[in-house]
Amino acid sequence: MIHIDIWEGTDPKPEVDRFVEMWGLKGTILLDETGDYARTLGVRGVPTNVVVDADGTVRAFGVSRLDELDRAVDDMLKT
Amino acid sequence: MVNGNFAVGAACRIDVPAHSRRVATIPVGLDPEGVAADAARRRAYVACSRSDWVTVVDLEALEPIARVPVGKEPIDLVFDAPTGRIFTADAHSDTISVVDAETLTLVATIPVGGYPSGLGYDRESRRLYCGNSLGGTMSVIDLDSLETLATVEAEIGAGAIELDRERRIILCVNFIDASVTFVNADTNEPFGRIAVGTGACAVGVVPERGEAFVVNSVAGTVNRIDLDEVRVVEELRVGEAPVGLTVAPAHDRVYVSNRGAGTLSVLGVADGVEWTQIPVGDGPGGVTVDPVDGRLLVADAGSGTLTIVEDLLAGRPPAPALEDPSPLLGKRLPAFTLVDHTTGEQRSSHEWAEKRYIVNFFASW
Repeated sequence: MIHIDIWEGTDPKPEVDRFVEMWGLKGTILLDETGDYARTLGVRGVPTNVVVDADGTVRAFGVSRLDELDRAVDDMLKT
Repeated sequence: MVNGNFAVGAACRIDVPAHSRRVATIPVGLDPEGVAADAARRRAYVACSRSDWVTVVDLEALEPIARVPVGKEPIDLVFDAPTGRIFTADAHSDTISVVDAETLTLVATIPVGGYPSGLGYDRESRRLYCGNSLGGTMSVIDLDSLETLATVEAEIGAGAIELDRERRIILCVNFIDASVTFVNADTNEPFGRIAVGTGACAVGVVPERGEAFVVNSVAGTVNRIDLDEVRVVEELRVGEAPVGLTVAPAHDRVYVSNRGAGTLSVLGVADGVEWTQIPVGDGPGGVTVDPVDGRLLVADAGSGTLTIVEDLLAGRPPAPALEDPSPLLGKRLPAFTLVDHTTGEQRSSHEWAEKRYIVNFFASW
């Protein structure tokens, strides 16, 4: 899991630290301070999840609900 | 899954032009959340939580005209027309700020519980209610004297509050506990608690039906609640990560802001079906209706804007519009090079080559 923080507006460091502690976030955490990368992908809201296959292909986009995300991951693992 | 007659699932529905009209997109500040309309002055007040101010928007000129500093991280906001006061729940100050709408100055600060994040308003009974998330309490405040009259036990994550004025019931929605606390509005005594979906964070009431609608952000659902039986009777689907709700003036629909989708769901009250989704700004949160012209005012936390849109639907459309799937599906993820929050190093997507992974875009608010 790669987490990418976007749209903070202020210094993201303390805000992300607080968020990570509160929600027990695990995995790599990257900062997209300008939001440019999110914009490139057409991200319109948070959370947005992007499921990526081993060859770099996007298999699912959006899927913010846990059941949707589980289903998208299951589908990817079947391929 | 089928909801009413509309199939729902992985495909997202989105509005077509005939369903809505974008009136304006107005920059207001960082992470706008709460929004209220002032009909007499033709203004919107927007709580910009990361800017620590309230932005005043002229609803005729469609432009911001003032910024009023308040407490730290104002999240929710209400406007009391009889006194001309604006109230903000300042989550990081543990206070409610009181602003005079005539002079646009801070006139009082009311201490409340830990992390106040939601406000409820009863104009007739002259009461303001504040959900204090950390302590799991609800403050009851006199709108005129600004005195705290009671502190009511709710549950951890207490936030959004709404009233059923006919039944004299206060509903306090508890985000962390995923529940609703029912409180007698005359005695301030809690008399019930029901479990709702995960991440409950907004509520609206349709009194003539004896129903409330509670938005569950993490579950991605809306619960329909029977207020006489004090129980959940239905679970409804809307867009991605719903966080805000307001009831339409005609009470035939509710509007739900979808933080994960950048849209507003139009949800039929009688049929429980999502009629359409109206595109707004990025990461929308607070939503209200301008009582003068019926336009929707939406605070877009992600894009730092207030979106004003018109809902053009006379009723449920023959079928919802289907959004084209993301153009990224089936294509290679665009490469990235971003800073690692922990190490400060540049990280590139090449590091994850030949691995399966999930990219999760998030914001700390």
